[in-house]
Amino acid sequence: MFHSAADAHAEARSRKDGQALPRLARGQLHEVHADARDWASALAFGLAAIEADDRRPVMLLRTSPRGGMLVPCGEGIAGLGIDPARLVIVDARDGTGLLRAGLDAARSSGPAAVLLESWGALREYDMVASRRFVLAAERSRIPVVMLRGDAEPRASAAHTRWTVVSAPSIPLEARAPGPPALLVELVKRRGGPAGMRWQLEWNDEDGALREIPLETGQADDVAAPLPGIVVPLPAVRTGAPLRRIA
Amino acid sequence: MPRALVARDGQALRLAAVDRHAARQGLAAGMTLADARARCPDLATAPHDAIADTRALERLAAAMIAFTPLVALDAPHGIMLDVTGCAHLFGGEAALVRGVLEAAGHVARHGLAANAAAARALARFGGGRGEGDVTALPVTALELAEDALAGLRRAGLETLGDLAARPMAGLAARFGEAAVMRLRAILGEAGSPVVPLRLADPIRLETRFAEPIARTDDALEVVEDLLVQAARMMEQRQLGGRRFGVTLHRSDNARRRLVVETGQAVREAGAVMRLLRERIDTLSDPLDPGFGFDAITLAVLHADHLPSRQILLEDGKEENADDAAALVDQLSVRLGEDSVRRLVPRDRHLPEKAQALVPALRVKAAVWPAPEDVPPRPLLLLDPPQPVEVIAGVPDSPPQRFRWKGRLHDVTLAEGPERIGAEWWLKRGGHMPGAAGETRDYYRIEDGAGRRYWIFRHGLFSEKPDPRWYLHGLFP
Repeated sequence: MFHSAADAHAEARSRKDGQALPRLARGQLHEVHADARDWASALAFGLAAIEADDRRPVMLLRTSPRGGMLVPCGEGIAGLGIDPARLVIVDARDGTGLLRAGLDAARSSGPAAVLLESWGALREYDMVASRRFVLAAERSRIPVVMLRGDAEPRASAAHTRWTVVSAPSIPLEARAPGPPALLVELVKRRGGPAGMRWQLEWNDEDGALREIPLETGQADDVAAPLPGIVVPLPAVRTGAPLRRIA
Repeated sequence: MPRALVARDGQALRLAAVDRHAARQGLAAGMTLADARARCPDLATAPHDAIADTRALERLAAAMIAFTPLVALDAPHGIMLDVTGCAHLFGGEAALVRGVLEAAGHVARHGLAANAAAARALARFGGGRGEGDVTALPVTALELAEDALAGLRRAGLETLGDLAARPMAGLAARFGEAAVMRLRAILGEAGSPVVPLRLADPIRLETRFAEPIARTDDALEVVEDLLVQAARMMEQRQLGGRRFGVTLHRSDNARRRLVVETGQAVREAGAVMRLLRERIDTLSDPLDPGFGFDAITLAVLHADHLPSRQILLEDGKEENADDAAALVDQLSVRLGEDSVRRLVPRDRHLPEKAQALVPALRVKAAVWPAPEDVPPRPLLLLDPPQPVEVIAGVPDSPPQRFRWKGRLHDVTLAEGPERIGAEWWLKRGGHMPGAAGETRDYYRIEDGAGRRYWIFRHGLFSEKPDPRWYLHGLFP
């Protein structure tokens, strides 16, 4: 559901650097790390793994989040091109229950995608648990997205690991906030290069998240080397450097 | 107080049914509500639900199986019991009638006769005595059209006896063959067949063991066998179970009862077994075979129509819908029905009331209206909205900065307000000026870090001096 930007800049750049945004592929386990305040962005990124014209249900499994209840808003989900009637929200009592229910959902070929919301360290989610998810997802050919809030990255068998933060949007007229914009970094990728970052913007016409060049407005960064100097990516936990764990 | 049920008939509201007091005041079914109110100003009315009536009558008919195996519906509002050879079991016809009227529980009229048409005529037109001479019944018992009845009366024919004394040919020529057929049926000269209800046998299977079996796994295997048999029975009747009950009879006469429910009708033994295993896992005290189980019964407590499935050759779409339903069932059994929910739209304006979370077992996928031309809604709602400290211009400016969870956010971009009024129509006295409740002004704002929030001011400055601000949603 990701589309490369139509404009020549981004295309040229992605061709040049070979850095097209990899999609949250089916049959794989993806981890998305985000801060509690960026949770809507993380969820939007996870929902991007779902095909809009599919009619199968989307399983959203969660444990009670910290600090107030966050409830998905049907109209907001419809705004991201997904029929809210497809969403099945499962509340697990604890981490173990969440992983067990998630594993059952990932093994079934009924849902279109399985999204798990977890908070904090989630000790039960280790190499073995994540490997189970990988096997389940590979067999049922559906994407499994593990959303991890306020968590340190841990060793896991996931295919990709991302960090997602909200990005300043491109203002509409009268200084109104623009469409959803996020900054994603591919922290880890099994069997591929990692460490790239993209700025994504929701495009209503495509009904998809679309890549936009990092640092909008600077047209001459086409040839510029990519790393570091562009929009700084706030660390997942303030002050802590982003650690990369394979 | 006289009471009546009212149904809409074209443009007019008409009485569909009246109670005894209303009937005494001269009201009758079929009258327009306006006429009825003119005659009887204190008439209390309620809407008529014809489907519920039919259901209730069907339930009543099913209960009458206690008196006779041949029960038929006798529309409208009637039940026909063929009590041939049944009366002596209840101590005679009078006692049987008393029993039936008691079991019915409603104000009921009855008629006893040698054939169904005569019994119907006696019950409906016999003046409530229930027995007697059908020839003494008025001609209305033929249930002809009003003009035909008027014709009969004009001819001086008041009772069925008067009619029966006349040659039938003339009657048929003047009032149609139906009149003669009904008359002959009531007099017993022609047959009046009834179509009895056939109640479905409950699906209940039992296995008894020569020796008690002491292993739970063995017992579950027996349950699976029973489920396979039940599936075969249901397949023949085009049924699928919604609720299954398994009772394990222990040799010390203790019983363990396991009940599982499914969101959709199922027949496959494997699917039900998965749910049963989930149920056993969640039991607070585990299944203890003790000295072993003597017998196992399986009952399909609730079944729905489920047609035989054709095997799809090209794609597995149908199978897929089943998989999703099975997953929902499984998680509902394990975590409780209230933990597996779907979003359902509600026709309300306040954002937190515009949707509801409903157990997925209880609801089919809801139909969400197409997005209207309203400002965007957040992806996540805070429930309840969280109070924030805000610096904003008076009266209608968006916030300039706000403090949430001890952190200060500078607002860089803002859009709004989207004004959402309070639901004054739900509030007592809400239509009075100033009593409607607080209006909300929603703003979509972005802070310096690029995060977008949905924030609202609870109350206009004209409504209250110092309105509070709340954070209500997060945008991606």
